[in-house]
Amino acid sequence: MLSKKLTLFQAALLAAALAVVLFPVFWILMTAIKPPTDWNASPAIWMPSQPTLVNFKTLFDPDALKEYGVGGVSQSATKAVIGSLLASITATTLSVLIGLFAAIGISRYGAENKSTPLVILSGRMFPPAAIAVPFVIIFSNIGLTDSYVGLIAIYVAATLPFSTWMLKSFVDDLPREIEEAAMIDGKSRIKAHLTVTIPLIRGGLFATTMFIFILNWSEFMFALVLSYSNVSTIPVQLAKYVTATAGTLYGVQAALAVLAMVPLVIVGYLIQGHLARGMTFGAIKQ
Amino acid sequence: MIDTAPNGRTAPVLTLENLTKRFRGKIALDGVSFSVPEASLTVILGHAGAGKTTTLRLIAGLDRPDAGRVLLAGRDVAGWEPKDRDIAMIFDNLALYPNKTGFENIASPLLIRKTPRPEIAEKVQAMAKVLKIGHTLGRLPATMSGGERQRIALGRALIRTPSLFLLDEPLSSLDAKLRIELRAELRRLQSEHGYSFLMATPDFNEALAIADTVIMLRQGRVVQIAPPQALYDQPVDRETARAVGAPLINILPARLDPDGKGIHVSEWRLPVPGHLHAALASSPDGFELGIRPENLGLVDIPGADLTGRVSDIEPLGLKSVLTVKKGEAEVRVLVESVAAKTVAVGREIGLRVKHPSMLHAFAAASGRRLTA
Repeated sequence: MLSKKLTLFQAALLAAALAVVLFPVFWILMTAIKPPTDWNASPAIWMPSQPTLVNFKTLFDPDALKEYGVGGVSQSATKAVIGSLLASITATTLSVLIGLFAAIGISRYGAENKSTPLVILSGRMFPPAAIAVPFVIIFSNIGLTDSYVGLIAIYVAATLPFSTWMLKSFVDDLPREIEEAAMIDGKSRIKAHLTVTIPLIRGGLFATTMFIFILNWSEFMFALVLSYSNVSTIPVQLAKYVTATAGTLYGVQAALAVLAMVPLVIVGYLIQGHLARGMTFGAIKQ
Repeated sequence: MIDTAPNGRTAPVLTLENLTKRFRGKIALDGVSFSVPEASLTVILGHAGAGKTTTLRLIAGLDRPDAGRVLLAGRDVAGWEPKDRDIAMIFDNLALYPNKTGFENIASPLLIRKTPRPEIAEKVQAMAKVLKIGHTLGRLPATMSGGERQRIALGRALIRTPSLFLLDEPLSSLDAKLRIELRAELRRLQSEHGYSFLMATPDFNEALAIADTVIMLRQGRVVQIAPPQALYDQPVDRETARAVGAPLINILPARLDPDGKGIHVSEWRLPVPGHLHAALASSPDGFELGIRPENLGLVDIPGADLTGRVSDIEPLGLKSVLTVKKGEAEVRVLVESVAAKTVAVGREIGLRVKHPSMLHAFAAASGRRLTA
């Protein structure tokens, strides 16, 4: 959508910046298809001469690396992938839904006072590690450690400040008279919000959902301290590919990282069309 | 559905009783009471921030009053949702549905109320014809001109026949010519169909031109309720006199002569107008005299009520405004442009009060109108 032609200098600068940003992605992609001998070779091997899918196979079949003489991979990643999908999708949905109602309440019905921003954001003012400890203690007392219910509850609690605050700004940007016109035209308050307010902040809703999903999808610490055997997520699983006998399984880690990128790329691609601002142009007098 | 008030007469479409509203502790409406009779056009006139929009929003049920009652056809509607109040509203920012075409915008109240489709199509086409917007029905608001959007908003309100229409500065986004055209159309629609309109505007010209009754709102209080001409001729106080009429009314400090036969007005002396005699005699501390610019006329200096030098001439086309100074005092005079050509800046001229009975006197401190 760039309408302006770039100068050579600008293009070179952009290319350099892109190279810096994309290099780790390139390296992960390459490592994911390297056989074990190339993983940590010195000098480094940029592109494998014999690309292989064995790393991906190992994710779901821990014995697949035996043919390369690498053993000790104990656990399949299946549970972690399912666990991540379950926790992230459920927690994101809940966080965005609750955040949406809170945002409309704050923006439209004065459900706030001077301390509301502080109260909402206070949970984010401490390093997560500081609040992880009390969570572990409380959860073990009420039997929520090593359960998806507990993990999802934490994810919702941790992301709700962001979803509420982001969505509030999108609701604030929408002139309230548009939904009020619908109320006067014959809709109940709740219906006016469902059929007018929410569709008109669609772009913001998508953006918020994606942001919250990324937070949940990549969360490591809470998942680590709250999971033992029942619960696993991709970031936790990534840390498990450090074996006593074969050292760190870089290729397998890379393969799982590549898999973990897939949903983000898909969501990112789907979202870009909705991010455009100016949805309400023409609705009100400028 | 018309309820009957206890006295047996038909209740007004709308009655407000002591409506009060605060925003974050700041008072926005302070005991507002008035009523709107059926099939009338009532205008709320007031500056920005006077409480016009707040009043309309409370009537519509979009906000809740802190105190007071809203009665629609005699029924207290506290707690009723907007949709149940049988009202239509045009917002000052129009608030069209940006994702819907002109047709869908106008049809929306009917669609929501489950009117049969063929009937909707017929009604919208008829409305489009009245408002001359047939060509915009298939377009989104973003592609329309300001005037077209305004008409779509009008159409969306007028497509129904609620018992009361609330119009919040419905003509403000239009250019002068279109505004005058559309306000005449509004008046025609209102009287033809016997609609009840309550319209808010900051423009006194608009209010005087179409209202049956004007409600003057200032700082959240009703200061005067009167037919347009009465508001102009008998403004309740100095501020109202200033708010209604252009060029601005001349307000001059004045004092009754000890002998009671004349009044000192700044640098000038005028005979006491008969209708003010008693009132002025009872304000020994002085008062302010209001002279509308059109109530002064050019005359020869001998026999003039006032004399002074022309310090400015502002041509307005048909008429011109002269500023006439004497010492520190100055008055604005509205004259025919033809007459203005006979004077020049710096010339000494004479002025005459054309209708002494139309002079206004205001108490110096409170600004209240002094009457006999």
